[in-house]
Amino acid sequence: MKYIDEFRNPDAVRRLLEWIRERSTRPVQLMEFCGGHTHAVLKYGLRQLLPPAVRLLSGPGCPVCVTASSDVDRAISMAHLPGVVMSTFGDMMRVPGSSVGKASGRSLQDAKAQGADVRMVYSTLDALSISRANPDREVIFLGIGFETTAPTVAAAVLQAQAEGLENFSVLSLHKLTPPATKTILDAGEVQLSGIIGPGHVTTIIGSDAWEFLALDYGISCSIAGFEPVDILQAIYFLVDSIEKNTPAVRNAYRRTVHAEGNLVAQRIMQRVFEVRDAEWRGLGNVPNSGLALRDEYATFDASRRFAVEVGPSAEPKGCRCGEVLRGVAEPSECPLFARVCSPEHPIGPCMVSSEGACAAHMQYGEA
Amino acid sequence: MCLAVPARVLSIQGHEAEVDLSGVRRVISVVLTPEVGVGDYVLIHSGFAINVLDQEEAEETLKLFRELDEFTATMYQQQGHSASDEVH
Repeated sequence: MKYIDEFRNPDAVRRLLEWIRERSTRPVQLMEFCGGHTHAVLKYGLRQLLPPAVRLLSGPGCPVCVTASSDVDRAISMAHLPGVVMSTFGDMMRVPGSSVGKASGRSLQDAKAQGADVRMVYSTLDALSISRANPDREVIFLGIGFETTAPTVAAAVLQAQAEGLENFSVLSLHKLTPPATKTILDAGEVQLSGIIGPGHVTTIIGSDAWEFLALDYGISCSIAGFEPVDILQAIYFLVDSIEKNTPAVRNAYRRTVHAEGNLVAQRIMQRVFEVRDAEWRGLGNVPNSGLALRDEYATFDASRRFAVEVGPSAEPKGCRCGEVLRGVAEPSECPLFARVCSPEHPIGPCMVSSEGACAAHMQYGEA
Repeated sequence: MCLAVPARVLSIQGHEAEVDLSGVRRVISVVLTPEVGVGDYVLIHSGFAINVLDQEEAEETLKLFRELDEFTATMYQQQGHSASDEVH
């Protein structure tokens, strides 16, 4: 496949590894923000191929994993309302909400088993189709995802408005990546020398959005694609910047990432959403890190249209997902990992999503 | 979640395009990439094209590896060290 095969070329991988080995003289800790990178790093065994001085840590970039359990509880309660169709992406179906025993079930999949109409969709456009086909039902789209996904959901809201689809609404749990990165750096729990920037988020927001890392924190950032050549090129750039003591933002995914990003997508996102504080699993309340529908689109805002009561929420006992998301703990350091928590029977969200660090470690055998 | 895959645009009608995704034909929205043309490669995420891939940049990146490899080999022969500092 064009744009994929050539970036998996073994010769280029070997060459990049040689350059990294030659350039690296001191220990560095790099965080891959994005769950897609975590998955690719483990899939291609890059941790083992890199010199021991280059250590990679997984970050919070898995939207399913960082969705607060109270928000999952809210979605489950909404799914149980009469006449509601709850639609969402596949990974979200199995994410556990609060561990407090609830009659409504712990996940949307449980809710579905109990008779709630929960449907898995590939795109928000599918949710629009369900709305058109079911004018007597209220179709809620559970919107999760970072800046990559938010513009697609905003575009669906605009489409619904243009068509006068009154039975479509969005429960927006969308989150922004730069504020989460700041939160991790401000907490100071992990010492990072560089960050592998998320390639598809940055396709939308532009690499300029990460300049604060170099300017305010003195940390280098390199934006990476998702093939081994892309990731190793980003690691080479980071090692090089660190060795030179010149913090910089560098782009190792030039075929899609530009300084200013996708301006059309940004405009559509800003037209529909406004920035709010948001609750992240593992990070807590992060200021200005969430997206809520603007007042003009209140009729498409499920959180305003459907009032639900959710009780107190609690994290699964013993689960260290929060620390895994902050790069503080490796999955294998969790007492539940591979013992009682597995992809077949996930306890925490990091084991549910294929992009979650725990699921990736299980799948590729780095336990 | 932020997974996006490249696909070639076969035809465009308004805000919709038919694409070839590794041999599978799909209809996607191009509302976020109004500049797209037939024959372009787009990155698809959640049923939407989120960007048009820059073919020249992709080839530049790959060319860089080929050229640097040759350059490195020459430098090794001449001076006995690597030229990897020049990768930008």
